[in-house]
Amino acid sequence: MTLRNPKLWLAVPAIALIFVFMILPITNMIEMSFRTPGTTEPFGEEFTTMHYDRILGDGYYWGVLFRSLFTAGVVTLLCLVVSYPIAWHMSKAKGLKAVFLYACIASPLMTGVLVRNFGWMIVAALNGPLNDVLLGLGIIERPLRLLFTQGLVILALVHVFVPFMVLPINNALRNINPSLIEASASMGANRREVFRDIILPLSFPGIYPGMILVYVLAVAAYVTPALLGGQMVSYMPTLIIGELTGTFQWPFGSALAIVLSVSTILVVALFTALTAKLMERSKA
Amino acid sequence: MATVEVRDLRKRYQDFLALDGVSLRAETGQLVTLLGPSGCGKSTTLRCLAGFLEPNGGDILVEGESILSTPANRRGFGVVFQNYALFPHMTVAENIGYGLKLQKLPKGEIETRVYDVMKLVRLDGLGDRLPREISGGQQQRVALARALVLKPRLLLLDEPLANLDARLRDEVRWLIRDLQQQSGITAFYVTHDQSEAMAMSDMVAVMKAGRVAQFATPREIYQKPVERYVADFTGEANFLSCDEVAVTGEGRYSIAVAGTTLDLGGVAGITSDTPVELLLRPEALRLTSVDEATFRGTVTKSAFLGAALHCEITLPGGGVLKLSAEPNANVRTGDEVGIAIDHSHAWLMPEVAP
Repeated sequence: MTLRNPKLWLAVPAIALIFVFMILPITNMIEMSFRTPGTTEPFGEEFTTMHYDRILGDGYYWGVLFRSLFTAGVVTLLCLVVSYPIAWHMSKAKGLKAVFLYACIASPLMTGVLVRNFGWMIVAALNGPLNDVLLGLGIIERPLRLLFTQGLVILALVHVFVPFMVLPINNALRNINPSLIEASASMGANRREVFRDIILPLSFPGIYPGMILVYVLAVAAYVTPALLGGQMVSYMPTLIIGELTGTFQWPFGSALAIVLSVSTILVVALFTALTAKLMERSKA
Repeated sequence: MATVEVRDLRKRYQDFLALDGVSLRAETGQLVTLLGPSGCGKSTTLRCLAGFLEPNGGDILVEGESILSTPANRRGFGVVFQNYALFPHMTVAENIGYGLKLQKLPKGEIETRVYDVMKLVRLDGLGDRLPREISGGQQQRVALARALVLKPRLLLLDEPLANLDARLRDEVRWLIRDLQQQSGITAFYVTHDQSEAMAMSDMVAVMKAGRVAQFATPREIYQKPVERYVADFTGEANFLSCDEVAVTGEGRYSIAVAGTTLDLGGVAGITSDTPVELLLRPEALRLTSVDEATFRGTVTKSAFLGAALHCEITLPGGGVLKLSAEPNANVRTGDEVGIAIDHSHAWLMPEVAP
């Protein structure tokens, strides 16, 4: 038998991998989220919607879900604001300077997640270096309680997700033909107008994937909120892990995970729909 | 509408001297072409005019006033780029209207002016398309319309035809020239194509290694080049080295070349010591019978080109002359032929201008 398109064979390993490690577990999880709780087994025999009824009927879970989605949004926007100028400088750099900048950008990813977060715990401690600096500069009079706050969680997430925003934007900026900037200047645009009308819309093909990546990663972040957020504020991932490994409520944990996934997909879909026209026009 | 004067413009990149004292002048409504090979500084000059580059020395005066301290976005010049530089995320109409929108004109006026200029460059009905949805020739006309709609004081064109195929190039070339003349806009035009330069320009500046080798009318550039480089770059040319040069008057010389003596005009200031060359354009040469001839030689190549017969004739002294003969001329490789020259088209010039 001859295959009409032999290149299809090349996709087989990838399809197998995705099937075994993604499709199967997700299907399994969806199924589990509709099972009754079990006492001697992970889940019971019967099918039920009780877990979804419980989540959607309880304002507490709505609150945690909203906090997760909202915090991820704040992280994404801050990431964008911090990353854009960095990406701009990188897109102008050549040779050794570019290599050096790439290394700097990737540096947050070179540290393991636990080490990085313990690092933040030391930095943000009451007598840690961050407080020392703020005291030394006279910005504050007494040490601030920084650890176990939502602000620190956001800061730490922005720090680690910057590379995911910088790299696609840098790529998009490099693809902008410099003569477009000259053309708009010759038509009377000042620097602000050049940025607003030309550079910003044309870098959207980099902004979009950067925002999606960071948002999805931020929604799903577990270790950072768990270590730096303390017990006071809950996020969906900490809640889900608690159900799965703390109380062994696998069906309920699965339902929480499915709710989080679906909500995230809805947010991404809404963002995509709102920006579809801009994306369609600005892609090369 | 403006006179433009470029004075002793200099631009240096690290070790490379891109402009080494360029001086030019464009009167109101003139189209001045900067002609030269790549790297000669023609685009650099244009970019200094546009304000995209800051020269290291010299001055640019528009209507007698220096514009060097004016940033590109306040110069009020229209620029047409080689790659058109259309904004890919804006429609044709948005591209053309962008400059008007920046001036915060009323929406209705923008629409009218965009509509009018689109009609002028024959883009009617394409206003809602994106640049990538129209052809190269149409993109070129959008670029032109976008510059013209702002009624610029000066129009700068950087090899605007380089990316078009031969047929379109001809069409757009005349469109550019017509629009430029109708509107009376002073224009600078950069090209490496001598036929474009000849056909369109009021004045041509032939550039060589960051300098202006010659700045004159197309006719003068072609017929009275100041040195071999200029003659070479402006069309088909034959060069013969001369044995003896005698000055017979103001710009008149008598030379001994390939066994004959010729009286002819040339660049003023040549002395008997100057290394010179005789320029004979192909149209100055004509095949003739051996006894009436100025030169005699052997046909070493002949090719039928349809409208003409292209011949290469080697002279006894070793010089080679290329000429176009009448297509039905009975000439074969190896034939002994005579060549008559039209003295008014012969020109004596130094190998390199002093």
